[in-house]
Amino acid sequence: MFSLANIRVGWYLAVRQIRRASLYTTGLIVFVMLLTFLNLVVVTGLLVGIVVGIGNQFKSQETGDVVLSPLDTKDYIVETPEVLAFVQGLPGVEHIAARYLTGGTIEANYLTNTGPNTVANETGAQIEGIDPSAENAFSGLARYVKEGSYFSPGDYDAVILGPQLIDRYSFGKQPGLTPLENVYPGTKIRLTVGGATRDVVVKGILNVPANSPLAARVFMPAPEVRALMQRDDQNVTEIGIELAPGADAAAFRDLLLRSGVGADAKVETFADAIPSGVQEIQDTFGAIGNAVGSVGLVVAGITIFIVIFINAVTRRKFIGIAKGIGIAGGAIELSYVFQSLFYAAIGSSIGLLILYGFLVPYIDAHPIVLPISNAIIVAPVLGTLERVALLVGATVIAGYLPARIIVRKNTLDSILGRNT
Amino acid sequence: MALIEVTGLVKSFKDGERETRVLKGIDLEVGRGEFVSIVGRSGAGKSTLMYQMSLLDEPTEGDVLVEGRSTREMATEEETLMRLTEFGYVFQDYALLPDLSALENVVLPLLMQGKSKGEAEAIAARALAKVELTHRLKNLPSQMSGGEQQRAAIARAIAHAPKLLFADEPTANLDRQSSGQVVTIFKELHAAGQTIIMVTHEEEYARAAGRIVTIDDGKVLSDVSLSEQ
Repeated sequence: MFSLANIRVGWYLAVRQIRRASLYTTGLIVFVMLLTFLNLVVVTGLLVGIVVGIGNQFKSQETGDVVLSPLDTKDYIVETPEVLAFVQGLPGVEHIAARYLTGGTIEANYLTNTGPNTVANETGAQIEGIDPSAENAFSGLARYVKEGSYFSPGDYDAVILGPQLIDRYSFGKQPGLTPLENVYPGTKIRLTVGGATRDVVVKGILNVPANSPLAARVFMPAPEVRALMQRDDQNVTEIGIELAPGADAAAFRDLLLRSGVGADAKVETFADAIPSGVQEIQDTFGAIGNAVGSVGLVVAGITIFIVIFINAVTRRKFIGIAKGIGIAGGAIELSYVFQSLFYAAIGSSIGLLILYGFLVPYIDAHPIVLPISNAIIVAPVLGTLERVALLVGATVIAGYLPARIIVRKNTLDSILGRNT
Repeated sequence: MALIEVTGLVKSFKDGERETRVLKGIDLEVGRGEFVSIVGRSGAGKSTLMYQMSLLDEPTEGDVLVEGRSTREMATEEETLMRLTEFGYVFQDYALLPDLSALENVVLPLLMQGKSKGEAEAIAARALAKVELTHRLKNLPSQMSGGEQQRAAIARAIAHAPKLLFADEPTANLDRQSSGQVVTIFKELHAAGQTIIMVTHEEEYARAAGRIVTIDDGKVLSDVSLSEQ
C-alpha cells in the first residue's frame, strides 16, 4: 500500500478531489473536526481548570507564593516580628499577610432563641485575625464583600463572615457546619474562642466560591483575635508572602531556609502547601474529561466514516474504473486517507488557533465563575498535541476503513454498478 | 504466437439456485496488429467476453493467455499491473474520473507506472493532441461533450502505448459525427500497428476492423476476416 507510486497517485487524487469538492461539504467536515478538537481539549481543560481554579484561589487568597506556618511542635510562628522584618527586607516581595488563626464558634439569634427545647443556632468556624489593610493588599479581601462593607480603621467588635457560615449562601447543614439564620450586616452574633466570648456585629458578608479558603471563616482585626486567644506575644499562625510576578517561589523558599527561617517556621511554596488530594482530584477530573472527549472522538470517527463511506459509495463506479485502468487499490485507499488527514489537520489547526489565540488567554483573564471555583482552561501544549495526534489517528482510520470496503469490491461490478 | 488467446472460455452467473451460462466455451486468438470487432445481438455475451479477455473479470472455466502466458493463476496485483501497462480501455460511457481534467485523467495511469509528473504530462498532452483535444486539456469531463469525453478516454487508453486496446461499445452513446471521429481514430491507430479489440453492435463501425467475430448465445457464430471476402 505504501509504495512510492501509490503515495504519489493517492496524493494526486486526494488533492484534486479536495480542490473540486463541494465547499459546503468540506466546511461541514472541517467544522465537525473543529468541534471534536475543542471537545477533546476544552472539556478536559475546563474540568482540570476547575481544580486548578481551586488551587489558584488557595494561592491568591491564602498562601501567596510562599507560606510560613508553625513548626509541628508549635502552634505559632516563633519570633514572628523578626521573621516578618527579615522577609519584608528581601527583594521581590510584593505583599505579606500575617494572620492569627484559631478555632471558635459563632452563634446567632441567641437573644430570641431562649426556649427550653430550642437548639442554639451556632456553628464552628475558623477565626482569622488580620491586619485589614495588609490582608486587602494581599488577597483583595475587600472586593469579595457582597453585603455590608469591609473593615474601616478603628473598627472594633466587628467581623466579616464567609458565605458558607450564612444559611442563605451555604450548601446547607453539614456535620460541623450549621449555617447561621437571619444574619445580615448589622446583626449581632456571639463569638467564642476558648473560654472567651464576645458579642460582635457582622460588618460584611463575603461572596466567594464554596471551595475558597475564605468561605467558612470569621475575619476580625488581629488585636481582637489575639486578645480572644489570650495571647500577649506578636507570634502569628500564618504568614502569606506574595512575590513579584515571575519570581521563583522555590528559590525564595530555599533562600528563607538557608537564612534560618526554617528554625522558626515551616517554609513552603504554594505547590508544597496545597492540600493533599487536590492533585488526585485534578487527575480524576482529567480522566473524566478524557472519557467525555473519547466519546466525542468516537462520534467524530463515525461522522468521518459515514462521510467517506457515502463519498466512496457514490464514487464506486469511478473507483472501479480507476482500478480497471490499472490504478492500484492501495493508491485509491491512500487518496481517502490523505483527504481524512486534510480534514483533521485543518480542523485541528483552526482549533489550535481558537484555543491559544482566544480561549485560553481570554478565560485566563476572565475565569468562568462557578459555585466551586473560578475555572480556567488548562491546556498544556504537549497534552494538546497528543490530542491532535489522537484526533488525526482516529480520523485516518475512519477514512481508511470505508475506502477499503469499497475498493475491495469487485472491479467489474463497480464499473457496471452491479450489486453482488 | 497470438498476442491474446482464449481457450474453452466459460462464464456463468449465479442467482441463488439458478445458474446462467453467458459464455459457453469460446476459443479465440487475436494476433499482434489485428483490429477485431466482436459483434452480436444484445445479450449474446460479447461484452462479457471482452471483460474476461481484458482481465476485468474472471472466467468460470477456461483460460486467457497473453503472449502465451496463462492468466488463470495470476495474482490480483499482477493482473492490475498488466491492465496498467499492457492494456488500454475505452468504455461505452467514457469512464473519465469526474474530479480530474482531461489532462489529469490521462496523466493518472502514467504516474501509476512510475513516470514523473512532468514526463507524464508531456506524454498525456501528446496523446490528447493525437485525438485533437489540445484545447480541452484543463476541462473537467462535465465541461466536455460526449464525443470529446470519448476522445479523452481514447487518449488515456493509448498514452502508454499499450499492446492491446479494448473498446466496449465506444460509439454507443455518441452521435453520428462523434462516432465517425472515434472510428477514424481507431483506424489510424490500427494503421500505426495498434492491436484493437472492439465490441460493437453497429455493423457499419464493426466493418472498420479487419476481422469480425460474431457471438451468439455465448458461442462464436462466425469469425470472418474482411480481407478474405
